[in-house]
Amino acid sequence: MPPLLEKLRAALGPANVLTGVDLSPFVVEGRTPAVAVFPGSGDEVATVVQQAVAAGLPIMPWGGGTAATVGATSARAGLVLALKRLDRLVEHEPGDLTATVEAGMTFDALQSALRARGQWLSLDPPDGDRATVGGIIAADASGPRRHLYGTVRDLLIGLTVVTADGAIVRGGGKVVKNVAGYDLPKLFVGAYGTLGIVVEATFKLRPLAEEERLLAVTFDRLKDCGAAVRALLASDLLPNAVEIVDAAAGASLGLGAPALLVGFDGLREQVDAEVRELAMLVAPLGGRDVTVLAPPTWPRLAALARAAVASPAAVMRARRRRGSAASAARGRPTPASAPSPGCWRPIAKRRRWRPCSPSGARARAPAAVTPRWPGRRWR
Amino acid sequence: MATLAVDRKSALRRELEGIVGRDGVLSEPDELLVYESDGLTLFRALADFVVFPTSAEHVAAVVRLANREALPFVARGAGTGLSGGCLPAEGGVVISMMRMNRVLDVDYDNQVAVVEPGLVNLHLSWAVGPRGFHYAPDPSSQQACTIGGNIANNSGGPHTLKYGVTVNHVLGLEVVLPDGEVMWLGGKTRDALGYDLAGVFVGSEGTFGIATKIAVRILRKPQAVKTVLAVFDQIDQASAAVSAIIARGLVPAAVEMIDQLTIQAVEDAFGCGYPRDAAAALLIEVDGLRAGIETQAERIVAACRESGAREVRAAADEAERQLLWKGRKSAFGAYGRVSPAYMVMDGVIPRTKLPYVLGRVNEIVAAHGLRVGNVFHAGDGNLHPNILYDPRKPGEEARVVAAGAEIMKVCAEVGGSISGEHGIGLEKSDFMPFIFSAADLAFMQSLKAAFNPTGLCNPGKVFPTKKSCVEAGPVAYRPHAIEERGLAQRF
Repeated sequence: MPPLLEKLRAALGPANVLTGVDLSPFVVEGRTPAVAVFPGSGDEVATVVQQAVAAGLPIMPWGGGTAATVGATSARAGLVLALKRLDRLVEHEPGDLTATVEAGMTFDALQSALRARGQWLSLDPPDGDRATVGGIIAADASGPRRHLYGTVRDLLIGLTVVTADGAIVRGGGKVVKNVAGYDLPKLFVGAYGTLGIVVEATFKLRPLAEEERLLAVTFDRLKDCGAAVRALLASDLLPNAVEIVDAAAGASLGLGAPALLVGFDGLREQVDAEVRELAMLVAPLGGRDVTVLAPPTWPRLAALARAAVASPAAVMRARRRRGSAASAARGRPTPASAPSPGCWRPIAKRRRWRPCSPSGARARAPAAVTPRWPGRRWR
Repeated sequence: MATLAVDRKSALRRELEGIVGRDGVLSEPDELLVYESDGLTLFRALADFVVFPTSAEHVAAVVRLANREALPFVARGAGTGLSGGCLPAEGGVVISMMRMNRVLDVDYDNQVAVVEPGLVNLHLSWAVGPRGFHYAPDPSSQQACTIGGNIANNSGGPHTLKYGVTVNHVLGLEVVLPDGEVMWLGGKTRDALGYDLAGVFVGSEGTFGIATKIAVRILRKPQAVKTVLAVFDQIDQASAAVSAIIARGLVPAAVEMIDQLTIQAVEDAFGCGYPRDAAAALLIEVDGLRAGIETQAERIVAACRESGAREVRAAADEAERQLLWKGRKSAFGAYGRVSPAYMVMDGVIPRTKLPYVLGRVNEIVAAHGLRVGNVFHAGDGNLHPNILYDPRKPGEEARVVAAGAEIMKVCAEVGGSISGEHGIGLEKSDFMPFIFSAADLAFMQSLKAAFNPTGLCNPGKVFPTKKSCVEAGPVAYRPHAIEERGLAQRF
């Protein structure tokens, strides 16, 4: 161990190698890593990986730490490879609708840089103030607007990774359409860092919409929300998000009843027309009133709903309710995603619910989000 | 060219007939000739057998047999590919998926269809059309190409600008792995647990196995569609208009560019209403809700006018719209009017580099004493320079290949890619080092080895060959004696 520390300090500078009490932010479920390092470039990441592998030390890539409790913790104390110094927006060419960004940049920092130039990365993952681009790729994080705009796999067009043997490998490219070679970016989305460490990524962007509006339609019963979802998805409307909140989560939004949340974006006249049509669509299905929620930010909603279900018991109740609501939304008794015979078994880390972590802050709010995609499997 | 001894070949034929039935195996040279190339006729190779399975079990049994006999095998759809991707190795088995062409299940509520790989792309849209749905990826060959072939190449098409390419619409696949095992990758929902192996499988050009069932998203047809034709006197103005449209925050469903040579060929052949004296035309389509569609079209018209368009008009009705699209989608066929043969190139560049790269393409082709027609997906920056040539003139084909390589180099230099939708196949395998380092290629090789450790599944594709291996591989086209004497013509 000591020779490794010395090598790491020599390679990265002493300030970028943490040990002892400085490791407290990286403690996961009571396990303290052996060392945490902060490389400042892809080459330094490769050096660290080579040295750690030579020393037989497990490596845990670390972005914002927002998903650190997902999956099993390492059996052995390892090396935390933190990417927060890799935080630059490398390239943003608005005319190409693409941006290349280093893995340690936080999602909010990226988004505000893009917004300043009239564009956005069409993802809305939780904890965007802390979650990093690399972590979002590794955890395949997304939010409500995935309904229209897809998930990380649909937007990531290129990446640079450091593989487990310390090689720097690039896959994909900087262009929005590309079939040269295998689609390596797909391999790393949702892989939780088990196949390599993402150090740089290139995304497809979208122009900011002229108008975006978020609406809530309240219903007497949760199951009526499900029926409304089916009607909405069978219509010509193009919502960018469709979510259901139960009464408890609805209360935190000032609704006081189970509600369907629907987002629309586009030209002003388009959004106006969609709002009118939505009102006509839900009225016969028991939709009581259509209100505009302001400000229409999904992360804020998630935070509110999270606060509403902070107690473990509430989380468990909400989970049970969510199950029945999801079935109602699909209009069928069993999940459509039940594995078919011959279906392969998951091999990457499985996300576990942690409603009662010691800090209480890690509980993700399950109640606010139900039919993200018809027949979608939760994880 | 077949490599098997006669008695071994007849024994294998009987065994293959035992799997797929007597009418499911071809082994006579004259029958095999049909399968010696795909849409890129530059490369040809004869297989020992072509088999026509009708189920995943058949495919798996054929694959296991090929493994036992150490015979290379490759899946084939409609053979419309443009990179030689489904060419057999010299000898071996071609597994044609054309008899597995059913729509197995359509779940309209969840907007998912499960289809077999031999289903023609357009036929899926026909199947779900009456209920108001369509399958979005629309390669120009969609009347003939199969969904399975689209999976292999991760095919695009004009409308990928808004709707994405094939992989964005594939949820899961049942595949026969190169060792004969049958398994599902992904599922019928957007999120499958674990690694996104379905995503990696799409675009693997048949080197990771053979898809036998495919779960794809189907989308509701847009409520309204508006198509605009913009005519320019200079090609740079057309390129500038593409950027101007994007800069206004508009994402059209399609932005296609057609240059003068192509316009003239199309007008000679079909008379679709493009002005023959224009340097370039843009075909721009917006779709979505009826509300707002006129505003979007107006903004596009304004962007084109500001960029110097001579004439901008919206298609007055569906008939005119179809006619404009016919001109675009039939452009490749129309080249027959101006040249006995052409080679389709496929490169991608950041769209802001369009003016520079189009200029370079014209210079390169002219320097080789050839002509080029451009008809391509300008909105995506996906170029299709079509180099016209006469295969009967000695040496001309070699100049086409050399010019193509230079164009690919330019695409790579400006930060682009050497293929946007046609795949690497045999054609471009030697160009891979233009954009990938040795480490990148080594990682891809290790990924291939994980799926395909024996290398029997579609050998010789995607990765660069060593020069010494080239001679052992498929041979470049040489004119037949009767062609040389002018008694027959190749199309």
